[in-house]
Amino acid sequence: MKKTLFFLLALLGASLSISAQQTSPMTEAHSSTTRLVGKIINEDGEPITNGAIVTLGNQNISTTANDRGEFTLSYLEPMDEEVIIEARGFISNIVMVQLISGQTNDMGAITLYTDLAREAQEEVLLNLVEADLNDDEGKSQSVSSASSASQDVFNTTTSFAWSTGRYRNRGYENYYEKNYINGLAFNTAERGTFNFSSMGGLNDASRNKDVVNGIEASNFTFGGIGNSTNYLMDASRYAQGWKVGVAGTNRQYKGRVNATYASGPLNNGWSFIAQIAWRYSPYINTKGIIGEGIAYNSGGYFLSAQKDWQNGHRLSLITFGAPTERGQSGAVTQEVYDLTGSINYNPYWGYCGGKVRNSRIVRSYDPTAIVSYEWQIDPQQRLRAAVGYHYAWYSNSALTFYNAPDPRPDYYRNLPSFLYDGQLDANGQLIVHDNTSQHNPLGKENPDGSIAELSYNGNVVGHSMDMETYKTLTDLWKARDNKTTQIDWDGLYAANQASNKSGKSSASYMQERRHNDIQEAIINVNYINSKFNHLKITAGLDAKYAQGIHYKTVDDLLGGKQWIDVDPFAERDIKDLATNIGLTQEGIENVKQNDIFHHNQAKKEGDRFGYNYYMNMIQANVWAQNEWNFNEFDVYYALKIAYSSMQRSTTMVNGRAWYLATLNPDNAEKYLGKSASSILAGKEQSLYMGLSHEFIDPAFKLGFTYKINGRNRLKFNAIAQTEAPLARDAYVSSRVHDRVIDPIYTHDKAKNLKDYYAASQKIVGGDLTYDFNFPIVRGRITAFYTQFFNGSEMNGYYDDQARTFVNQTLTGINRVHRGIEAAAAVKLGTYFTLTGAVNAADYRYTSNANSITSAENGMAVCSRMDGTSIYEVTDSVYMKGLHVANGPQLTASLKLSFFHSKMWFADITCTYYDRNYLDIAPSRRMKSLYTGKMEDGTPVNGSYRMVSSGVDQNYINAVLLNDAGEMILDKFGTPQLAYPYNQVACQESLVSSNVWNRFIFDASVGKLIYLPNRQQISINLSVTNFTNNTKFKTGGYQQARLARGNLQGKTEQEGNSVLMPNAWKFPSKYYYAWGANFYLSLTYKF
Amino acid sequence: MKAFKYLSIALLAAAMTACKYDVKPESLYLSEQQVEQQVADGQIYHINDFLDKFMTEEGNYLSDTSLYRSRATNGDGIYLFSIDTLPSSGPGIYIRGRVSTDDFGGNFYKALVIQEIVDGKQQNLRLSIDMGSASGMFPRGQELLIRCNGLAIGRYSNQPQLCVPSYNNNTNSQNAEQKVGWTPGRIPSPICRKQFMHVGTPDESKLQYDKVTIAECIANYKDIVAARKVDGRLVVIENIWFNGKCYDNGELKDCVHYNPADNTGNPEVANSLADVFAPTTNNIGYPQTRCITDASGKCLSVSSSEYAKYAHYYIPYENVNGSIVYGTYKGSIRGVLGYYMDNAGKVPGQSNWAITICDLGDLDLKKGDGIKWVPEEWVK
Repeated sequence: MKKTLFFLLALLGASLSISAQQTSPMTEAHSSTTRLVGKIINEDGEPITNGAIVTLGNQNISTTANDRGEFTLSYLEPMDEEVIIEARGFISNIVMVQLISGQTNDMGAITLYTDLAREAQEEVLLNLVEADLNDDEGKSQSVSSASSASQDVFNTTTSFAWSTGRYRNRGYENYYEKNYINGLAFNTAERGTFNFSSMGGLNDASRNKDVVNGIEASNFTFGGIGNSTNYLMDASRYAQGWKVGVAGTNRQYKGRVNATYASGPLNNGWSFIAQIAWRYSPYINTKGIIGEGIAYNSGGYFLSAQKDWQNGHRLSLITFGAPTERGQSGAVTQEVYDLTGSINYNPYWGYCGGKVRNSRIVRSYDPTAIVSYEWQIDPQQRLRAAVGYHYAWYSNSALTFYNAPDPRPDYYRNLPSFLYDGQLDANGQLIVHDNTSQHNPLGKENPDGSIAELSYNGNVVGHSMDMETYKTLTDLWKARDNKTTQIDWDGLYAANQASNKSGKSSASYMQERRHNDIQEAIINVNYINSKFNHLKITAGLDAKYAQGIHYKTVDDLLGGKQWIDVDPFAERDIKDLATNIGLTQEGIENVKQNDIFHHNQAKKEGDRFGYNYYMNMIQANVWAQNEWNFNEFDVYYALKIAYSSMQRSTTMVNGRAWYLATLNPDNAEKYLGKSASSILAGKEQSLYMGLSHEFIDPAFKLGFTYKINGRNRLKFNAIAQTEAPLARDAYVSSRVHDRVIDPIYTHDKAKNLKDYYAASQKIVGGDLTYDFNFPIVRGRITAFYTQFFNGSEMNGYYDDQARTFVNQTLTGINRVHRGIEAAAAVKLGTYFTLTGAVNAADYRYTSNANSITSAENGMAVCSRMDGTSIYEVTDSVYMKGLHVANGPQLTASLKLSFFHSKMWFADITCTYYDRNYLDIAPSRRMKSLYTGKMEDGTPVNGSYRMVSSGVDQNYINAVLLNDAGEMILDKFGTPQLAYPYNQVACQESLVSSNVWNRFIFDASVGKLIYLPNRQQISINLSVTNFTNNTKFKTGGYQQARLARGNLQGKTEQEGNSVLMPNAWKFPSKYYYAWGANFYLSLTYKF
Repeated sequence: MKAFKYLSIALLAAAMTACKYDVKPESLYLSEQQVEQQVADGQIYHINDFLDKFMTEEGNYLSDTSLYRSRATNGDGIYLFSIDTLPSSGPGIYIRGRVSTDDFGGNFYKALVIQEIVDGKQQNLRLSIDMGSASGMFPRGQELLIRCNGLAIGRYSNQPQLCVPSYNNNTNSQNAEQKVGWTPGRIPSPICRKQFMHVGTPDESKLQYDKVTIAECIANYKDIVAARKVDGRLVVIENIWFNGKCYDNGELKDCVHYNPADNTGNPEVANSLADVFAPTTNNIGYPQTRCITDASGKCLSVSSSEYAKYAHYYIPYENVNGSIVYGTYKGSIRGVLGYYMDNAGKVPGQSNWAITICDLGDLDLKKGDGIKWVPEEWVK
């Protein structure tokens, strides 16, 4: 392993060395002195300082303007030339010039107009990103990247217009979108994602950025398969003056105010900028509108100071933060959407003492401080270094309960559909039993005396279902009864008050707060050298120490006196735990404790409870890149070596961890870490350290650009890398114990390369692009292909057979992401531009996955034929051929834009989405369910090989067999199931059957008004989904829980658990796109 | 660093507008005045009056022949199963009573019993509700006012209960021919939340326990119809002990089934485990019985679910020179008296009566020397 790494490093070093030798001093003679110079300014006459790019369309030469907006192009061919000027945040401009031989051709000042539409859209995007943070696990559908708006036609179009459909760049997870601030890597070490809410509302702070599309060469990072964005927050990059703005919207927040002042570069070398912002929404108690039951309150500040010295040194001090408190909304089943008649139904709120109250309140604040240093050593060399620190408070509240009914209004047993349970036959049809119209009053007899179909609210009601009960429940839901469809807060207070009075030790209900904080210290060094002719060398070093801090606190006892810190599931299942291994009474007491050294602790508001652990991580990488630029072609290659480590530590020893260690004394460290022996000896410590896991991952990429001519280019990029698992995917249940996924243990003990990378994901990918840039039309067509090998994933769910919460780890996941993306912008006369973009892709699993399922409370999940318990069920999951649920895989849009030089703009966009799929639940596709046996041959309970009809309890084989009695497989090798069991396991398409519902229409209009003394007012109105398409599902997931029933009088060995034919008992949950929504902003600059 | 942290917290706090919810305790339950207002559209019935008025022998739910009819009677006109639906509209039909059970111990599941004291005497009714851990919402001692409109009053094995009609499709169940068909079902949770109202705060001291003897329990209510109004009675029986027998003074080894934890099905293992409160039935789900007796020698079953938290505890015994001896621990038991009867056992007999405890705290047993019985768990 080490030899291989050494070899790779040596190879890159050698290449650098050789290249340096080959390209040393600028010896090439130049025959021409034709030059082109100019200065790029904005509509106020101020220089554009964020690195405008000037390209000569015919000669295929480009340069970047300096901080004063000035540019120079030398050694040009005299000809009629088309000069294309692009700058982020501005509308591109094309100017025709005649280059006169041997002269310096001065274009003078070239004005670029602010792209008001983009400015408004980026604010909207940030809003959308925050809306997506509803899922604490960060796995919900997300905007591909709020910041990926580069000058690339495809990215410009997709980053906003396609965000409604939750399009993701090439179907990658959001942690493949890398985000940097002044060069510092700000994707968190633990989850891999960037916290956009850390600068929520601070659109000026995030205005200046470098964007690298996918695998392309970069000057601030090695990059990866996804886009990389580097936010540049140096104060001198902002235009001098004041800017104040107000905005109104009907999205998550309703109003926003902000003010920014930038000093611009001062004579003494200093520059300053300060921005403050506030976004707010009161609680919305109107049912059925966007944001019902949600309140929003967020402040924000951004301060940056910069000092420039004449000798090329620059120092920047940056700090920002956006303390936020906001309510959340949750995904629900289609039945609930239908009953409530609204896609905006939110199950997380209810009335408390007459006021609206949300149970899921996020509090976040990520104060960040950065010191960055830049040294322009000479015109060809630049050194940048930065250090940063941020402490991200992130917590979310949730209701929890102890020996009390589930308080969730949309709990499956509270819905009318639960009455169907047990009423379906083997074909998924409602059974027909005793019934008369007399007792199902809505039913009528047919003329022939047979019983007519009974229905209510458009649903067929079973003849053996009580219509009155069905009707009552349905009516409660349809009427949006507060006690039924929302959280009954007063009922929870009443229950707690009753508990107090009846002398119970613990409150029945409590609002807990789950804290997932992280602190990170980050450094970065970046060096660029363009001294050598044709060669640009870029090298960098990134390092980060991160600590995830996870604990729960008692947020609100809801009138209860105290909360006893035991695990209710473990307490309930204590009989099984005790009898499995014959624990002593003291041991049994340990099992249910969340801290075995402090039994039955009474917790008050603000106290920590449940768990309190740290995830300590170190990440570092060094990388280097060589870019060769010639007239006909460019080529680059880069190598990165990354080191990472993770180690869990905890202040509380969980009783289930202790139990599992007791159960497996030879592997006690797996559960209790380094402190296992002292814990088992009963020695209390202040901190218990887990095992440390370290990884080294190499990455290599290269690219080639063939310049067919000044307007046509062909580009090819490729990458190969390994990637250590993120901490969030590495631990089986980090709240409970130190146990990591099995491949990491293999890795830890590796003696060969294969074992060393047993836990790492391998990624190989590439893309081929044809770029074109004509005066009338510009754009690109790209084909991409990325293969992931050996990915891992964690799932947790309630298992009906084990009757407890289980954790399922998936490893060995292979998948491919391939497709074509294309975009073109066509100028239609002076004022109009038509832009089209399409992404046709296929994101698909190419292998089955390995699965290990274990109960979080430590009890056995099932048993073998000989009666011995199985604590970890090893199986595989039929994933091959399934679609990766990462947004639509076919998207196309057309956008007609209008721009008038009197600063009017407008656009209208039509986007079509297709091939979008539901995220599947691996628990429904376990091999043992289809074959009746686990990997080790052990028969299992509750397989599709023996399912209950649910009517007469005759067992049928839901797996389809051919005449020879063999399973019928699909082309991916997955056995086929009979209806309705195929509904349980199938991957559903989220695409509406009505083609019209697959379209989303957006529009925006804006105007910039110039006032005397360089003052200006801009007004923007953006309306998304203005046709109010409320049938558009953006994502969703299958519930992992399976409907099972127990067979009476049967032992586990005889198979006492069967799957029930009620495929709809635990249906999927969906996310819908918001209906018509708007964003109106007014900005005044002076 | 600390200063930075504190400053950050202060900034965070400043940005948040903490919303305080002023939930007045008195707004959470009904006062007597509010009860009067609530029932103004109808009337409150005493439990027995309620049963007399609305619970018929045959039930009103199905008028034609059905499976449940055939299992309900042996031809004597007495129906063990019935469902009478209550009008969903019209005058309000209310009952009120105090919860006398607690499901924390797992021996009551999705069921409550309420007690009403009328003229110093108990009237009781079971409530069948689709609400797990209902005691968290309706603890023992909590008085409830229940609006019964739209619900049903039915009998399951002769036990009256407030319910909704439900159809049991489990034809594979034991004695399926007796079970499949319309049956009293659990009231969905949203309907409970809507129609069950807290009256005042819980007060267990207001529950009335009738002190009775085993003989009184099993002798006084041989009339099947009369027994319905005794079901759910809260009693205390003193001077009792566990005699190591089960159902109708039968031998433990004859009524045990399986290992309480593992399901090996090995009879030899099973027999060795017979002396716990409730070995598994392998999901059949019927309650297990262990006999208590007194000086009369008569047996009253203590009914325990295999899902009770104490199911795997040994019944009280003493190891005397390696031999298991029962009856050395004596004392009192308190619980809910029940009269469970299926068609096969329709003739009233002493074994049909059972007392259901909430948990082992309902047993107060001591040896002659005053040493209190300490429950002992079964271990492998």
